[in-house]
Amino acid sequence: MNIVVCIKWTPDTSEADLTLESSGKDIKKDDLDFDVNDWDRFAIEEAVQIKEKMGGSVSVITVAPDDAEEMLRESLARGADQAFHLWDDAFEGSDGYAVASILAKFIRDRPYDLILTGTLADDDGGGQVGGMLAAMLNIPSSTLVSKIQIQGTTINFNRELEGGLGEAIEMDLPALVSVATGLNEPRFVSIRAVRKVSSVEIPMLDLGEIGIDESKVGYDGSMIQIEKVYLPPEGEGAEIIKGNPEEAAARLAEILREKGGIG
Amino acid sequence: MIEPADFPIASIPAPVLAFVILVSAISFFSYIMFRRIDLLRKLMPDHRFSDIWERIKFAVIYGFFQYRQPRYLGAGILHILLFAGFMILSLRSLTLIGQGFSSQFHLPFLTGSPGLFYDILKDYTGIIVLGVCIIAIIRRAVFHPARYAHPGAEGHQNEAYIILGLVAALMVTDMIFDGSSLKGAAVSGKSCMFPAASLAAFFMPALGSSTLNFIHIASYWAHILVFFSLLNYLPISKHFHVITAIPNVFFANLNRGRIKPVRWGVEDWMELEEIGVSRFEGFTWKHVLDFYSCADCGRCTDNCPANAVGRHLSPKMISIKARDYAYKYYPIFGSPPDPGETRFIGDIITENEIWACTTCGACEQECPIFIEYIDKIVDMRRYLLDQGRLPLSLQKPMQQIKKKGNAYGGSKGKRSAWAKEIEGVEIRELKPGDHADLLFFVDSCGSFDPRIQEISKSFARILSKTSSDFGILGQDETDSGNEIRRLGEEGLFEQVSGKNIEAFQARGFKEITAFDPHAFNVIRNDYPERFPIIHSSQLLARFLRDGKLTLSGDYLNNRVVTYHDPCYLGRHNGIYDEPRYVLSKIPGIQLREMVCSFSRSFCCSGGGILLWYENEEEKERMGERRVRMAQEVGSQVIVTACPFCLINLEDAIKTTGNEGKIEVIDIVELIDRSML
Amino acid sequence: MKNVFVLAEQRNQQLRDITWEAIAAGRKLAGDLGAELSCILLSGRVEDMAQKLALECPKVLAVEDPRLDTFNSEAIIRALVPILHDQGPFVLVMGNSNSIIDLAPGLSVALEAALATDCFGLEVHDGKLMAIRQMYSYKVNALVSFKDAQRVVVTLRGGSFSFTPSEQKSGIIEKIPSPLGEDSQRKRFLNYVEAEKGDVDIASADIIVSVGRGIGDEPDMEVFQSLAETMGGVLACSRPIVDKNLLPKYHQVGTSGVEVKPKVYLALGISGAFQHLGGIKGSPLLAAINKDARAPIFRVAQYGIVGDLNELVPILEEKIKAIKKS
Repeated sequence: MNIVVCIKWTPDTSEADLTLESSGKDIKKDDLDFDVNDWDRFAIEEAVQIKEKMGGSVSVITVAPDDAEEMLRESLARGADQAFHLWDDAFEGSDGYAVASILAKFIRDRPYDLILTGTLADDDGGGQVGGMLAAMLNIPSSTLVSKIQIQGTTINFNRELEGGLGEAIEMDLPALVSVATGLNEPRFVSIRAVRKVSSVEIPMLDLGEIGIDESKVGYDGSMIQIEKVYLPPEGEGAEIIKGNPEEAAARLAEILREKGGIG
Repeated sequence: MIEPADFPIASIPAPVLAFVILVSAISFFSYIMFRRIDLLRKLMPDHRFSDIWERIKFAVIYGFFQYRQPRYLGAGILHILLFAGFMILSLRSLTLIGQGFSSQFHLPFLTGSPGLFYDILKDYTGIIVLGVCIIAIIRRAVFHPARYAHPGAEGHQNEAYIILGLVAALMVTDMIFDGSSLKGAAVSGKSCMFPAASLAAFFMPALGSSTLNFIHIASYWAHILVFFSLLNYLPISKHFHVITAIPNVFFANLNRGRIKPVRWGVEDWMELEEIGVSRFEGFTWKHVLDFYSCADCGRCTDNCPANAVGRHLSPKMISIKARDYAYKYYPIFGSPPDPGETRFIGDIITENEIWACTTCGACEQECPIFIEYIDKIVDMRRYLLDQGRLPLSLQKPMQQIKKKGNAYGGSKGKRSAWAKEIEGVEIRELKPGDHADLLFFVDSCGSFDPRIQEISKSFARILSKTSSDFGILGQDETDSGNEIRRLGEEGLFEQVSGKNIEAFQARGFKEITAFDPHAFNVIRNDYPERFPIIHSSQLLARFLRDGKLTLSGDYLNNRVVTYHDPCYLGRHNGIYDEPRYVLSKIPGIQLREMVCSFSRSFCCSGGGILLWYENEEEKERMGERRVRMAQEVGSQVIVTACPFCLINLEDAIKTTGNEGKIEVIDIVELIDRSML
Repeated sequence: MKNVFVLAEQRNQQLRDITWEAIAAGRKLAGDLGAELSCILLSGRVEDMAQKLALECPKVLAVEDPRLDTFNSEAIIRALVPILHDQGPFVLVMGNSNSIIDLAPGLSVALEAALATDCFGLEVHDGKLMAIRQMYSYKVNALVSFKDAQRVVVTLRGGSFSFTPSEQKSGIIEKIPSPLGEDSQRKRFLNYVEAEKGDVDIASADIIVSVGRGIGDEPDMEVFQSLAETMGGVLACSRPIVDKNLLPKYHQVGTSGVEVKPKVYLALGISGAFQHLGGIKGSPLLAAINKDARAPIFRVAQYGIVGDLNELVPILEEKIKAIKKS
């Protein structure tokens, strides 16, 4: 089983106070800590677990600048066999489509049975790369996947719908699967485990080595563009709904419908 | 009366028989001991030969003088009597052995008056020991002390009865031997000198002299056989401690509060193939000596807070299961069975047990013969963590410490944000090259947890009020790493401690101070470089002694106060009195001790990233149990000296419905509010 | 743009609610762009649904094919590409449900269209379409443009566009023969999987009703479970509830429990301790009911009621049920 896992290097914005760059088109990322996208961590673990059960190899790929190397090294410590680091300054500004193009070019001529990704990335939450990459490679794909079972050239799994409902799906390999969080328990990677793989070579490939045209990457290769970002206005604490229980409950139900789409 | 040495048995001269028995028993015993010790050679190294003088003192105080036994008064007294009896009567048994060769045999110094004195002494001792055996048997059989229970593995109750039976038999045969002499000599009026012999004589019916002689001889050989059976029974049963206890104390861990290195004698442990305890053979020889020495008394488990709340951890059972494993797979005779799929870590010692420990040290504090548990748990954790098996609830905070230097996920830049929020107090952030008298090590909880920031501020106010010259590290401070090390992430521990040490070395100071006992402990005991460090309660005691602070009783307002000893201040570092001294300086304070206080303090469930640990088996929180203990003494205020105890106890106040009835406060906060 | 298409989402031959929101957005967009609005319906049996849609859309393109009955992204792409192939420039609007996220990226590549997902706003600036979506733990809003794309696909966040029925007469229903050929399907739907109560994964829930200590010592959990179901969400809780064994562990929201990223979070009897709030990611619509007016939860919630849960919760559920009916 040759498994390829595509992972993303994302900033941890959950606890930080965010400020905008002067261009207004992105947030300031210098002070943020980067790590592997949470969803992708589950994907790597799943790939390694499949390999441990069925044999084969796991390759991890990312399109990210230099500092993402530690994420690739951690993936090796987690059990991946190879890691590939794709980057060129020309990749700056790539949207989901452009990233999918880069990955598709690289993966197309390599042997693989299964590609795993996380369903969403915590930074832009776009959920585009997985499905787009599959379409470019002309293989079937699915998202929010868990309970993966592989037999021969077929992969069976569940995917989440809503409220606890799911669907059981079957796909022919080669295929791309975007996993849901919580489908496994990612193992802990200790500092020693990373140290053990510190001498494994992680090839860095640029535009020329991947063989993709400059017009297909970066701002030029993207289909969408972020014109500006802004912080949503701050609230001052809850608006307290007054009135007797009947009135207050009615008003709350209204709000839930209006602003929450409930009912 | 013909004495044993002169009475042939089935035409075999007695000395020959004595010789044969002696030689075979000793050879047998030596072989068993050889096999037991041989296992120790196959294990990991342990450095236990430093501080020989200190070790001798330990062996004398705790070994010979049984210093810890009376912590359980009843059983303790029984045991001390048994042990003292053992020491005294061993001379008797040696004498008797010798008398198999010659009826004139005696030990060099036991003749004349000293001999007589000894004979009297040993007679009284014999009856006392017999009495102790009977009491012990009744106690065990009728009253079933809870700590003798054996959950999760086969019991060894029978062995206890066998040993007590053998010892009683030893006493009885000696009594009959002497009694028969006494009866035969028809001497009366010796009963107060030789009560045991007299008692035995009393029960002997009037018998002809040859029958009496027969009894005399029979009881002699019975005694000899019982003696050697007892001797050989020790190393194959749970009573191995009779032989190994004092050596075990001699080799005790003298470095309280410090965790052992990954492997003794190995600097570059990261390069090792395997680390920690993955298999039984990963233990050090001292650890297996511990297993040999466990007397199955259960005092450790009886005091284990994890066990008390229903977690499946029983320190005693770790020793018993490990010893059972050793006896099974390293048998004296024959070849070991095939372990098949059974794995030592996972099957014999389960992962649940390994992670359930809070490293509070109650077990180690209680064990009369200094069996260690914390280092073993840490070594087993080291292995599991190396395999990626860390409980999920702990992975995220551990990861956060790796990335951000604290488990809270707060950014480094904000580490000293709390310091800017105190009115009227300027807190110096020491840059490299700066000097201050006191370096206030705030640690992660004091920097990022909103509740604990209150303690940081209180401490800063007190330092300011006493005109202390102090400063904090600011951004250069990283998590102190106490729990990181104890959870088995040695690599991360080296990283955080390295960063802190660098920060310390770049600045000048006389002492470090911290209000967090975990930081205090790890910096004082585990860091590879030594720095003078003082806990906040000690610093407060110093201020009060020097008259730098005056306190008022207004804040407490005559409420009943109890002090909860934090594990890492009390047990691990021996600081019990100074916090109480500080409290005593509050005018009119009503301080009541809980039943479990001082070295018997009950753990709040752990600090550092253990705050994030979820255990599925427990039936109640340790904090809740502790709050109930405080309620029992009618306390209205619980004072503690550890931020994690504070959090756990405050949580428990809420969940036990005591909100508004009992207040939990850190000693630093209390002094801050009581300062004049 | 000549056309605005809305892809209707159906399950078991019932139109799903998000379809109406998509139509609402589509209507406005068509108006702003001066384009024609059409609704596309793919199902095993289109009759009833097509008529309902025709009441709200000027045109309905209906494809009837049993292979399109259960949501299958592969089949849908194979059906939509020929249909939309020569429709000129268009915007395709869909609701961002868990089914659509399986479809949108692959569909966009097949249509050679630009894609923006999970948008809560659509605007037209100088005749050009812009989408508004959130990024970075939902802390930042982004205005996204589509460069010179002639074809655009947008998926919409639920609850962002409100639908009002129109008064128009019925639109045209055009039945299109199924473009699906005989190619075998590489992706096959097998069956639905009902979660057992024990399999509730609150981490993926969009709507959460969460209970805390304020619900009392002997609460009737059924009342809260019922509210959660009525709201179409799941029941969650803070730690004390788990400690009292009122709910199993996987219902606990918090830094030491489950991390949730819902769109709506109703906090009942929850004080708002930071360990609990730390488990709520993003910026959901947070409403709280608590009897303590000073509870910290009111600082972070957008809406709150200070009152008795036992009184309010049954009434609230009634009101929500009434809204659902209308």
